[in-house]
Amino acid sequence: MPPIIETRDLRKVFRSLKRRPGMGGALQTLFSRDYEDKVAVEGVTMALEPGELVGYIGPNGAGKSTTIKMLTGILVPTSGEVRVNGIVPYAQRRRNARTIGVVFGQRSQLYWDLPLIESFELLRAIYGVSAERYRANLASFTELLDMESFLRTPVRQLSLGQRMRGDFAAAMLHDPKVVFLDEPTIGLDVVAKEAIREFIARVNRERGTTFILTTHDLADVERLCRRIVLIDKGTLVYDGEIEALRDRYGNFRTLVVQLSEDAPEVAVEGAELESREGDIVRLRFDRRTISAEVLIRRVAEHYRVHDLSIEEPELESIIRRIYLEGYHDAPAPEEGR
Amino acid sequence: MTLGALLAPYLAFAGKAFSREATYRMEVFTNVGSLIVRLYLMKTVWTALYAQNAAPTDVPLHAILTYTAIALLMSLVLEIDGTRAIRDHVREGTIATDLMKPISLPLYFFSDGLGQTLLHATLIVPALAVSLLLVHIDLPAPPVLAAFALSFALGYLVNFLLNFLMNCVAFWTLETFAIQLMVRWASDLLSGQIIPLIFFPGLFQTALLALPFAAIYSTPLLIYLGDIPPSGYAAAFALQAGWLLAFAALAVVVWRAAQRRVVVQGG
Repeated sequence: MPPIIETRDLRKVFRSLKRRPGMGGALQTLFSRDYEDKVAVEGVTMALEPGELVGYIGPNGAGKSTTIKMLTGILVPTSGEVRVNGIVPYAQRRRNARTIGVVFGQRSQLYWDLPLIESFELLRAIYGVSAERYRANLASFTELLDMESFLRTPVRQLSLGQRMRGDFAAAMLHDPKVVFLDEPTIGLDVVAKEAIREFIARVNRERGTTFILTTHDLADVERLCRRIVLIDKGTLVYDGEIEALRDRYGNFRTLVVQLSEDAPEVAVEGAELESREGDIVRLRFDRRTISAEVLIRRVAEHYRVHDLSIEEPELESIIRRIYLEGYHDAPAPEEGR
Repeated sequence: MTLGALLAPYLAFAGKAFSREATYRMEVFTNVGSLIVRLYLMKTVWTALYAQNAAPTDVPLHAILTYTAIALLMSLVLEIDGTRAIRDHVREGTIATDLMKPISLPLYFFSDGLGQTLLHATLIVPALAVSLLLVHIDLPAPPVLAAFALSFALGYLVNFLLNFLMNCVAFWTLETFAIQLMVRWASDLLSGQIIPLIFFPGLFQTALLALPFAAIYSTPLLIYLGDIPPSGYAAAFALQAGWLLAFAALAVVVWRAAQRRVVVQGG
């Protein structure tokens, strides 16, 4: 099957008027024709198979939303190719829009002043969903997202959790092939988060909908995605399975030590000081070069220890390392894997 | 795709805008209340001016009161700026989400505005009833009324495009308050909404009647009063239609540039 989303050397450069500081500078800016180029996305190549659920991860300003905007057809790439469902999004914005869905955690596409159900009816008209399909989808989403009790409530009176559920149903009513999720669980409590995640997993499984999930909440990604695409400063840093990342970085452990005395400086041979907050010291070590037992003995020799524990790397700390050190400088996978 | 399927979203937009506006009942009633107060004040001013013989004698008092009342009733729909949603959506960034829908945005804003207009148009009936308690309103012959309706429709479209163009300024400046205030002041005075343009002297009057603002209030009102006789209808409609076409062409150019701006700058 051909990829449902495909980009090749996708690049986006924003050009803006150069601003000068101060009042005089502001006046100069008014008449100046000096431009400044800022590269937002620098040569991103990727392909998604139909039915994949991919986490698209990167720090703020990495170029995530610029990429999404190019995939949804509201931004024209400076160079490179992009195809969604075989359609070039910016060339055929409206045709592309028929096959995609979007959910933004931070802004709603529901009609603020009207009951939730009326927004659904409006979307039905916009996408030309047949009466039959509309009834079936509405019934299914109402049940899955437990919306029965607030279908007739004006959107402005809904809680954030209810509104997000409504937004999810709204994005899915026309059976899009690809859905872009931008921070879909932001601000939700744990119960609501889990309900949304369960819904995404289920739609992906049962309907084969392709999802691109952009988020800073890596728990979303760990729960939902097998594959992640990491982007930093506009460049692709990593594209592959989460498991492969874990294998690669899996040899690192963190020894968390709570000291019972005040030590001005903590240094232990064979481990690296990750952070220190008061009497809690975090030491990172590679279990291939030093065993936990040896390290603990060394710590205990030099400091008085109140408590200690060992942490396995979470996706979040792995990704933090990749941002700081880059993927290519990372340790090679363990032999024999 | 059939025409019905093509139009369905826009009919739905108009319908939703209609019911949305209906939820702001207080605002709706305030509109009628303020209209009645304005009508009463205008009646007092015109009556006093006529008592002092300070007004032109070729327009009788009952005609000017009719003019004032009809102008105020027209303002119930003409003062609705359906396209202010453009400015709001640009400022809040939701214009990007709008563009992710398979619809034409100018048509979306037009249908939304039309829905709002239709709700406010229903106010004309109670407002007319109360107005009749305050002033006598002359009723012209049916053919004149039909000509008035056509001219009003053309004026409505000119007004829509004027609002559309002003709100599109937000794509460049994010803010449109100053320009809207200026255009509003200009149009209140120059459109003949408050003072009939035929009260202005000579050359000034000729210039004002040719301006697009006149196409909004003055032309339909002068047709209603009979100051534009049936023989002048063709020329009056042609001038209105001319402005309509000119504004429509400008709107196409501005909208293309605005869309490109979103696409280049990124919402």
